[in-house]
Amino acid sequence: MMHRNRRIAIILSDTLQSIGLQSLLTDYFPPVEISKLPVADLLTPAGNDHFNHYFTTPDIYTAHLDYFLPRRSKTILLFNCGEPASAPSSATHFLTLQASQETILEQLQAYLPEDIPSQFADEGNKELSSREIDVLQQVVKGITNKEIADKLNISLNTVLTHRKNITAKLGIKTLSGLTFYAIINGIISGDEIEL
Amino acid sequence: MPLVYPNMQLSEVVEENTSLIPVINRFGIRLGLGDKTVKEVCDEHAIDIGFLLTVINTFLNEEYFPEKKLKTFHTSQIIDYLTKTNMYYLRFQLPNIERHLNSFISMSTPGNTTLNLIGKFFSSFRKELMARIEKDGKEWFPYCLSLSTKLSEFQEAGPTNPLTLGAEEEEAEDPIEALLYDLKSIIVRHISGDYSENLCYAVLFSISSLEKDIKQHNRIRYRILTPMVAAIEKLDR
Repeated sequence: MMHRNRRIAIILSDTLQSIGLQSLLTDYFPPVEISKLPVADLLTPAGNDHFNHYFTTPDIYTAHLDYFLPRRSKTILLFNCGEPASAPSSATHFLTLQASQETILEQLQAYLPEDIPSQFADEGNKELSSREIDVLQQVVKGITNKEIADKLNISLNTVLTHRKNITAKLGIKTLSGLTFYAIINGIISGDEIEL
Repeated sequence: MPLVYPNMQLSEVVEENTSLIPVINRFGIRLGLGDKTVKEVCDEHAIDIGFLLTVINTFLNEEYFPEKKLKTFHTSQIIDYLTKTNMYYLRFQLPNIERHLNSFISMSTPGNTTLNLIGKFFSSFRKELMARIEKDGKEWFPYCLSLSTKLSEFQEAGPTNPLTLGAEEEEAEDPIEALLYDLKSIIVRHISGDYSENLCYAVLFSISSLEKDIKQHNRIRYRILTPMVAAIEKLDR
């Protein structure tokens, strides 16, 4: 199963702030994978590039411009509403520390897209291939893997691979479940088989 | 979820988590709890409070599973609890699902073949679970108990090293859990035609509550009892 978490880096010196942010993200924007990076890690501008978002403060941002400038579109700054003037001009995303929880959630929602961007995004085809349907037909009739291989003229390993893919595509693990699926989808008729 | 402690009022805990009612029933605790604390109730019923709290807390909190602590309890305590959960499935939860399922099928449009299939699916699940319970009662639990008697004889004979439990093997998925999962998921994803929404929910609700119970049963079974027994078997040789 591919993981499609949002990967988020929190770079804050205030422990309570970072715990609070972590808990909001975990509760309201799952699935997230949160790393708390020490400020010292920012000294090397390379590396740590696999995050979808970075949360930090204007101070840290300004002190590590080399690091944040290339990542500015993914960076969200936590700032005090009393001091908007201190916001670095290159930054575009902000969270207001003193705002109500509702407002903060709205701000977060605007920055975190609903679709999780991921190079692993695996919206594979959930439909069974015709070969998989052939295999499923045999499986639910109670025929052994070896016999299926002989009958369909494929190797035992191929049968096992098909079975694994069928289970993964349908999210059904048991023979009873597969039989049910096969009957209601007309892959086999109910008369042929006892559930 | 906060953990339950000895000085908490059991009634408050149960009000917050009604799913605990069958669990405390297994220990012989019945409702009409008044304002007694967990400790007072345990003293009254001569229940090992450490064991009760561990069972309650693992039931409420899936992430909480203190293996070290659970392994300090006596095999007979663990088997006693597992036996009671088995009885509860047989006497109450299976008939309960069945009752809901039967009225669900009969109150929905006759000839909805999907529903009949769901009924058959449930029957095959029930058969599997009942077979396991029977085997537990006749073979597996008595075997575990006989081993643990051997262990105490062993220990009485002289000082022994504490049991060293091997690392648990990655257990294959439990077939009972897999069937329940599929049963629920199939209703949610594939039900079609006319059917009674209310009774469908009742069926799913009763399946989910059995599922939760069986998950805890299985965690104790595979992560505590099985490694305990394997460790005693090694001593024996």
